[in-house]
Amino acid sequence: MATVATCGGDAVGVGSAVATASKSNVTSFQRRGPRVSGTNDSGPRLVSITGTRPSVRNGQLLVSTGLPALDQLLGGGLAVGTVLLIEEDKYNIYSSLLFKYFLAEGIVNGHTLLVASANEDPANILQELPAPLLDNCKKEFDEDVYNHKTPESNIKMKIAWRYQLLPKMEQIRPVSSSRFGHYYDASKRIPQELIEASKWHGFFLPEKISPTLKVEPCSLTHGYIKLLQFIQNIIYEEGFDGSNPQKKQKNILRIGIQNLGSPLWGDDICCTENGDSGHNLTKFLYVLRGLLRTSLSACIITMPTHLIQNKAFIAHVTNLSDTVVGLESFIGSERETNPLYKDYHGLIHIRQIPRLNNLVCDESDVKDLGFKLKRKLFTIELESGFAFFHSAHF
Amino acid sequence: MLDSLLALGGLVLLRDSVEWEGRSLLKALVKKSALCGEQVHILGCEVSEEEFREGFDSDINNRLVYHDFFRDPLNWSKTGEALPGGPLGALRAMCKRTDLGPVTIALDSLSWLLLHLPCATLCQTLHAVSYQDSCPPGDGSPVGKVHVLGLLHEELHGPGPMGALSSLAQTEVTLGGTMGQASARILCRRPQQHPTDQTQWFSILPDFSLHLQEGPSKEFQPQSDPHIPLVDPMAHLTFNLHLSKKEREARDSLTLPFQFSSEKQEALLRPRPSQATSHIFYEPDAYDDLDQEDPDDDLDI
Repeated sequence: MATVATCGGDAVGVGSAVATASKSNVTSFQRRGPRVSGTNDSGPRLVSITGTRPSVRNGQLLVSTGLPALDQLLGGGLAVGTVLLIEEDKYNIYSSLLFKYFLAEGIVNGHTLLVASANEDPANILQELPAPLLDNCKKEFDEDVYNHKTPESNIKMKIAWRYQLLPKMEQIRPVSSSRFGHYYDASKRIPQELIEASKWHGFFLPEKISPTLKVEPCSLTHGYIKLLQFIQNIIYEEGFDGSNPQKKQKNILRIGIQNLGSPLWGDDICCTENGDSGHNLTKFLYVLRGLLRTSLSACIITMPTHLIQNKAFIAHVTNLSDTVVGLESFIGSERETNPLYKDYHGLIHIRQIPRLNNLVCDESDVKDLGFKLKRKLFTIELESGFAFFHSAHF
Repeated sequence: MLDSLLALGGLVLLRDSVEWEGRSLLKALVKKSALCGEQVHILGCEVSEEEFREGFDSDINNRLVYHDFFRDPLNWSKTGEALPGGPLGALRAMCKRTDLGPVTIALDSLSWLLLHLPCATLCQTLHAVSYQDSCPPGDGSPVGKVHVLGLLHEELHGPGPMGALSSLAQTEVTLGGTMGQASARILCRRPQQHPTDQTQWFSILPDFSLHLQEGPSKEFQPQSDPHIPLVDPMAHLTFNLHLSKKEREARDSLTLPFQFSSEKQEALLRPRPSQATSHIFYEPDAYDDLDQEDPDDDLDI
């Protein structure tokens, strides 16, 4: 678990200090202080990894998902060592945006990325990441927010007139890169130098497996086995699981897997109703979670659950993931013209929040959450107004 | 819109049904690409070659490269003409083509392929064929666009394979119509953009050229009009959420108790008439005892 990882991280930090002390041919009884050994290792120090912070509730190490609004809903962020599963919307517009926010957050924080996809080359995915909004863009951000004021909000508050002066909650200023959680401009691409400065590994399925003419039933897991081996190699070689004690600063591995379970991965869970081949995906998720729990990594998976025919299978997948968020966009559905939903582009459902080292989880009471993609910003809001009509009409 | 279908590239699904058949539209699109000078490959699985070529002129017929899987689908005759690997092998061979120029591959039909091949393998092969143009080869030479036209009989398949193929396709054309006029509902999925949905009325002439039309006469259209009424959340309430104009004016002119208005300020600052003494104004209640000589003497303490 991630708390173990931080303690383990501390232990490794101390251990490496002791190890270097013993290497310098003196007794192992050393006074623990800032000048404990002759090397440039400055002794046991607080292991703090960029882009992470401990949770205020239980001390779990958290990373940002790239969307501060989603971080807030998940109880501060995504815990290191867990899986965030996103159930895709029908045309895969908003889920791929969340996927990109996660990866962009990794680049801005200097984390290592691992991008796996069966339909797009990972290099192309990285080119399409949104540009981060840093402090010098503060003025544009303010303009954007104020331009979207609707006429009704201009009516001054008459009864609670003292509250007019307080700022609204969602107008949070964009933060600099040293803080947790950043804002991104979805209309601009990330600057090329940021991508080049970052470390990333790509897994593009058509390149990794050669299409054989024989169609064997066990070849369904072929893509998944390759992916798991790839992830395991990266974790081991780069020392994310503490196997190679690192002298340099510890880092987080952000794994992104796109469209898992779609037929392009060789899995026919979306094509058939019976659950024969469903075990491939569940085994994959199980092994993946094992790999994540023993390393400093966080994973985002997007899955086209609207294509999965066996609804019980979705429950299995939900149980095997940690945090599950479902997106439902209004495009093409009758809700697009419904006046209740006219301000929003879709609904966001928080299906599951994990209980990590806890008996209870941080589930919020709010179930009616809508999202909208403004010109630059992806906001998640409580559906304003007539929430009780929702239950009456649907 | 129908005539610019081929401009987008990628996989185009033509979904037809028993009432509105799609093979004539497929042949019309094949003819169009052949006339544009593209290379056209046909994978014929469902009908014989003669039947498919029927109706085309000889110059178009000469341009079509026909792979026949109808006559001998399982390659029992073992002659040299049959392609190894079946239709899947033929598709994979098209992935590895080295010549440039735009190519149209027509699958007649995709339903036949779905019924004979595993869906996941078919999806992977179609993806590999149709997304060739997005990954340019190493030498930097531009590869022409690949258009894959697949005829799909939507009544033969369940929602699973249909959904899987729809998510893979760039464009989906669903054939329908009313009163003898055919229409095509075109759903275009561009990556990262909102999908567009249009309906186009058309007819196919005997020589398989596409004729776009306006649509049936207007009197037929209101039938499909919203039988779903627009949901008004403000209806059927036990309280009133709307204000009439007079009520709104009255509300606006109301002064609130804690607002510090100019009248209040004047009232406070106005010099009081009698400030030296203070008066108590008391109005006795009905139950008050006004007997001054009885200061609770009846209480026995």
